[in-house]
Formats: sequence, C-alpha cells, structure tokens
Amino acid sequence: MSAMQKQSTIGKDVSFERIRRITGYLVGTMDKWNDAKKAEEHDRVKHGLSCGCR
Amino acid sequence: MIDKVIKRDGRIVDFDQGKVLAAVEKSMKAAGHTAPQGAAAVAEAVTKRLEERYQQTPPKIEEIQDVVEHELMRMGFDEAAKQYILYRANRTRIREANTSLMKTIDEITKVDARQSDVKRDNANIDGNTAMGSMLQIGTAGAKAYNEAYLLTPEQAKAYREGDIHIHDFDFYSLTTTCTQIDIVNLFDGGFSTGHGFLREPQSIQSYAALAAIAIQSNQNDQHGGQSIPNFDYGMALGVAKTFRKAYTNKLMEGVEDYLDTEDEKDTVLQVMAQAKEKTGHGPRLEIGAQEYDAAVAQALCEHYDIEPKRAARLVEVARHRANRKADRDTYQAMEGFVHNLNTMHSRAGAQTPFSSINYGTDTSPEGRMVIRNILLATDAGLGHGETCIFPIHVFKVKEGVNYNEGDPNYDLFKLSCKVSAKRLFPNYIFLDAPFNLQYYKPGHPETEVATMGCRTRVMGNVYDPTREISYGRGNLSFTSINLPRIAIEADHDEKRFYEKLDQMLELVAKQLLDRFEIQASKRVYNYPFLMGQGVWMDSDKLNLNDEVREVLKHGTLSIGFIGLAETLTALYGHHHGESDEMQQKGLQIIRYMRDYCDRKSQEKKMNFSLLATPAEGLSGRFIRMDKKRFGIIPGVTDKDYYTNSFHIPVWYNITAFEKIQKEAPYHALTNAGHISYVELDGDTSNNVDAFESVVRCMHDAGIGYGSINHPVDRDPVCGYVGVIGDVCPRCGRRDGESISPEKLAQLRKQYPDIPTFRGIE
Repeated sequence: MSAMQKQSTIGKDVSFERIRRITGYLVGTMDKWNDAKKAEEHDRVKHGLSCGCR
Repeated sequence: MIDKVIKRDGRIVDFDQGKVLAAVEKSMKAAGHTAPQGAAAVAEAVTKRLEERYQQTPPKIEEIQDVVEHELMRMGFDEAAKQYILYRANRTRIREANTSLMKTIDEITKVDARQSDVKRDNANIDGNTAMGSMLQIGTAGAKAYNEAYLLTPEQAKAYREGDIHIHDFDFYSLTTTCTQIDIVNLFDGGFSTGHGFLREPQSIQSYAALAAIAIQSNQNDQHGGQSIPNFDYGMALGVAKTFRKAYTNKLMEGVEDYLDTEDEKDTVLQVMAQAKEKTGHGPRLEIGAQEYDAAVAQALCEHYDIEPKRAARLVEVARHRANRKADRDTYQAMEGFVHNLNTMHSRAGAQTPFSSINYGTDTSPEGRMVIRNILLATDAGLGHGETCIFPIHVFKVKEGVNYNEGDPNYDLFKLSCKVSAKRLFPNYIFLDAPFNLQYYKPGHPETEVATMGCRTRVMGNVYDPTREISYGRGNLSFTSINLPRIAIEADHDEKRFYEKLDQMLELVAKQLLDRFEIQASKRVYNYPFLMGQGVWMDSDKLNLNDEVREVLKHGTLSIGFIGLAETLTALYGHHHGESDEMQQKGLQIIRYMRDYCDRKSQEKKMNFSLLATPAEGLSGRFIRMDKKRFGIIPGVTDKDYYTNSFHIPVWYNITAFEKIQKEAPYHALTNAGHISYVELDGDTSNNVDAFESVVRCMHDAGIGYGSINHPVDRDPVCGYVGVIGDVCPRCGRRDGESISPEKLAQLRKQYPDIPTFRGIE
C-alpha cells in the first residue's frame, strides 16, 4: 500500500502530476528537475497556429 | 633546533630532514640532473633557515615548502626550483579536488534532493534513494579522478572554467554513449545477457520481454540511452510465430470438435505441411492467406472424410480465431513491454533504462499489428492510466509509406497523432528530409534514419562509406562548446569570434580523440553485451580479448553547442527569431562548425559530427559561470539557463509555423542529432487535426526530428488525465485537497478508470 493510499482522507496532500518533456525525455514530476531547467520550463510560451501550415 | 612540524590537518609530528632531502632530490632529477649533487647542501640550508625562523612554534608544511623553494633558487638550482613549484601546484590541485570531492559527497549523503541541485543533475535518478546516492558518489569520485589525471592541463582548465562541457564526464575512462540495437540480428539464434543464455524467442510475448532485457543489458555497458531502430520489423517476427502457433492450435481444436476426437495433432500437422509444400509458405496473417487456406482445406478433405464446404469453414474459423488471438497477444505483449520499461531498473538499481523505440515503416500485416498495438497500449497508459515516461516512441514518417492518404500505413500515422496528442509520444522523425533521404533505400530498413535517447543520430560513415546505416552504431562521446561566452569575449568583433571558435573547435576535437584513445584500448570483455553479443557493428568478428579500436570507428565523435540565440544577441544585438538577417548569421556560425567537423572527419577518417546538444545539467552550468564573469548582459546572461542548441528562445513569441521554418535549416547542418519542439496550448487530444497539421508542417519544412509539447496533467486521486488548471475538472479538488470516499464512489460509477484505495474504501 502506498503512502498515498494510507491517507485516512483520500487525496490529502496529494499533488497533481504534471508531465513535461526535458531534453527529449518525459518526466512525471518536476520535483527532480534541476533549477535551470525549472526556470526554462517556467518561461516556455505557447506557439500559435495562425499560419501557413498546410 | 627544529624537531616538530605542523601538518595540514593541524597534527604536530616529528620533523624529518630526510623528507626535505627526498623532495629536493626528486626536483633535481625532474630538472634533468642525473646525480643530484648539492641536494644535501640544500636540505641543510633549509633546516638552518627553519631553525632561525621558527624558534618558538613549529613551522607548518606550507612554510617549509616556501623555504625549500627559496633555498633552491638562492643556491642557483633554478630549473629544480621550477620543478618543485610545479609539483607543489599539482599536489595542491589534487588536494583541492579531494576536498571538494569530500564536500560533494557530504552533500549527496546529507541533503534532501529537493534542496540540492547536484542531486538533480539527472532527472531520471532519484538522489534520495540509497542506490541513487551511491551512483552519485561514484560519479563525483570518477569526475575528480578524471579531471586530475586524464585531462591535459589545457583541457582541464577549459572544462573547469566552462569554456567547454565534457558530457558524461564520470564515464570518461570507462565506456561509450549509445547504440542502435538491431533486435532482428540479436534475437537470431538467441543471446546471452552475461547472466544466462536466452533461447531465440518463439512468441510475441517473449519477443517483447527480450527486447526489454536487451535494452537493460546494453544500458549497463554504456553510459547513454539505448534504442531499438527497428522495433516494428523485429517484433513482427514474433507476431508471425504467434500467429502460426495459434493457427495450428485453432485448426486442431476445430477438427477435434468437429470429429469429436481427442488428438488430431499429427494429422493436422501433416495437413499443414502439405499446404506449405503446395504454396511455399506456412500460415501467415493476410499475405497468401486465401491460397494457403484453400490448400489446407483441400488437404483436410484428403485426410478426413469431410465435405469440402465444411473443411473450408473449419479453416475459415481457425484463421479468424488465430487472427484474434495474435492481435490480443500482441496488445498484451506491448502493454507488458511498456510496463516493463517504466518499472525495470538498471545501473545498480538507480535508474530506469533510458529507452527509445523507432517504428512506423514496416507495412507487413505483422508489423502493422505491432505498430497499432504499441500505440494503443501507450494510449491506455499504465495501471492507473498514468502517461508512460518510457520508452521514447519515435514514429518514422515517410511519403509513400505512411504520410499521405492511400499510403499503406497512413492509418497508423493518423493513430500516432491521436496518441501523441494525448500522451506526448510518439515523436516524429522525417525520412523525407533531404539529409535523411540521401541514405534511404526502399526495402532496407537499416538505411532508415532512426534516433535514440534525447536526439542522437548516426548515419553517415567516413570510416566505412559502404556502411552508412543506423543499426549497430552509435555515439562514442560528445563535448559541447559554450558559444555565448566566445561571443561575449569577442566583444562584437565577428572576426575575433571566429578565431576563438576555431581554437575551441581544435581543443574539443583533440579532447574527443584523447578520450577515444582510452575507449579504443578497451577489450571485448569490457563490454560483455555490447561487443560480446555482437550488438555493435563488426564486433561479432572480434574475440573476447581483442581491442575494440577499429570497430569503434563506426561510431561518432560529436561536437555540440548551446545558446545560439544568446550568441547572436551578444555579437549583433538580437537573435535569429527576430530577423532574417540574424537567421543568416546564425546559419553561418553553425555551418562553419559543421564544415570543421567534415574536414576533421576526412583528415582522421573518423566520424566527427555536429550535435545540437541536449543540455540538461548544462543548461544552467555555463550561464552561472558567465554571469559571475561578465555580469548581467541583457538577452545574454539575464536568465538562469542558456537556450538549447539552435532553438528560438522558449520565452520568445512566435507562431508554430515560423518557429519550424526558422529551425529547420539547422537540422540539415547538425548531423549528430537535433530536435525541434512546438508548444501547444490546451488539451490537444480534443484537436488532433491541429496536432497533425503541426507534424505535417514539420515534414514539409525539412525538419529532421520533432515533437510537440502540450500540457499533460493527471490527478492521481480520481485518475483524470488531461489539462488541469487549479481545479481538477473531474473530481473538483484543488492541488493537495482531499475528497470524501462518498464522492469517489459516486465518480467511480461514471468513470471506470478511477484508482482504488485499498484499506479506505
């Protein structure tokens, strides 16, 4: 039984998982990212699709 | 009278003039004196001087050394003095390395990984676990040793001060980076992991299980990620075997049921042998099915008293069931494979193997079954619907095979977009990009470019131009150049920039060759799986005690770079996303580096290639040092990271289309590997068409390898996968909040994929 499952109230202190790509690999949680990569992830902007894509 | 000295750690010990004498003699010998005459006189003089100076308290070691230096010079032994000073400096360097090593180990041992950047250098290693820490301590020790003993002073300085970054430096003296494992060749006749022999697999389940084991075994022989370039072609052989077995069994059962007998195995095998003789092949999915089935039905009539119509029906049912069984088994095998790769451990248990699989171009029915099921298994996710972190899926896109409507695998390309829009994988590699197409020979999957790990690409082969294929080859090592620093130091002077770049390219090429010398002097037994099992090209021709030098030359030595955007900004004021003029300047720099690699390749007959470095630890390392050295320069050192390779900065507003157009030309130049990303907003699984349009845009623009990022969140409590803002759209809780068992029970009626919580509900 995992620590999460032992919680008497379901979900208490359980964070959402946010999966992101880091140098080609996916990482399930950003806890293990180094500080620079965290800063980079934070700065990423979305790319719009208004374009000449076929 | 001097009788005591104070050691560096503060302990007081007896003074020994013999030690001074020995040091002086050594310096004289190093200076070229054959018989160190006068050494005794120098030692005497040192003792005398110490007695004069240190009458109250004993001298410290450093103070004694200062006196030795001084006396050597005073007595005219200038060259010996120089040698003594060099010796001292070197000892100091090693001692400092040791001290900093102890500090690092102290941090690894005591500090929580969340507070320690050292422990998060590689996001795939959990620095809080015993095995993860042991690995990190080993890394720290190896790095200290390698820097002190294996690098030339010039290389050590460049590495230490951040002019260059030597990747996987902890493995400097040990192994090479990565390999494309040809599983068709590996499985043929079975293989040994070094811990036991595995027979050639006989079903899709064992094919998939062995593929995972192959990745795991090879991961322990090398320091990089592992990849299978021909996952579909390889697994297809397993599907064929599973189908053949299923067909036989289903037919047998059908006949036994029909005749109401116990054992018709021998006769049915005879029937099938007869059909094989007639058609030239056994039972296969689709191909030649009609012809073969007719032959089986006919043979059944010859062996049994059975109506032709009835026999045909029995065969039809057997095929139908065999099809279903093969499909189901393949799905389960792919599901098992993905689960395996996400849970298995390697490298002292501290890592999940970095794995990649390439597929998409096998148009055989078996290959198609593999591709469809690996995609479906990935779409379903892990046990609680989690997105799979491993393996990296690389979908090979090729016109005429899967890119356009009417292509045999077009349906699978469409499916891949749907899966990737939800699960972030597959990524896409484009075989039609001119620099990939030049190697492509239809019907020869080994000529299809494949990628591994972050982005490594190996195709061209200067060492052996007849072997320009992806299988059995990989990168040997790579080192990256701090481009922005060269630009800052050039102080807006383009000519100076290129002069400095030249020097740095030379330094790196030399260092790569030095490292190659160490790698090349290893023997086959140092790589029991990679070389011992013939995974690496031509290693099957070597004996256990042979040097691997020559076969290693099929691999690549890669020069990487980071921060083209910051480089352009430092030199000219803005980056390549901002103007076409800067785009030309950027291409000029990267082409310059590529030309250097090509020249070096010809000169050495080895594969020097240019890499758009996948910088993880490196993203912050260079800029931290450059900030200290140059201060904050707007657009250059004002962030916590340098922009990856040739990318348009992540913070710069640009459309997907423009970004792709800007980055594509760099793919053609970076022959050691590259990747471009597009960041899409919102839940792309609701807009697969938009997702696909970006993939098509990449293909048409000449991108080599690309992937599309979009937020994939998951609530582990209710199992929701998609975009989660502040509140989970399914269960309504906020991050860290609890929900009641009643609410969960109610949700479960609606959503079958909600995780169970044993002991609570």
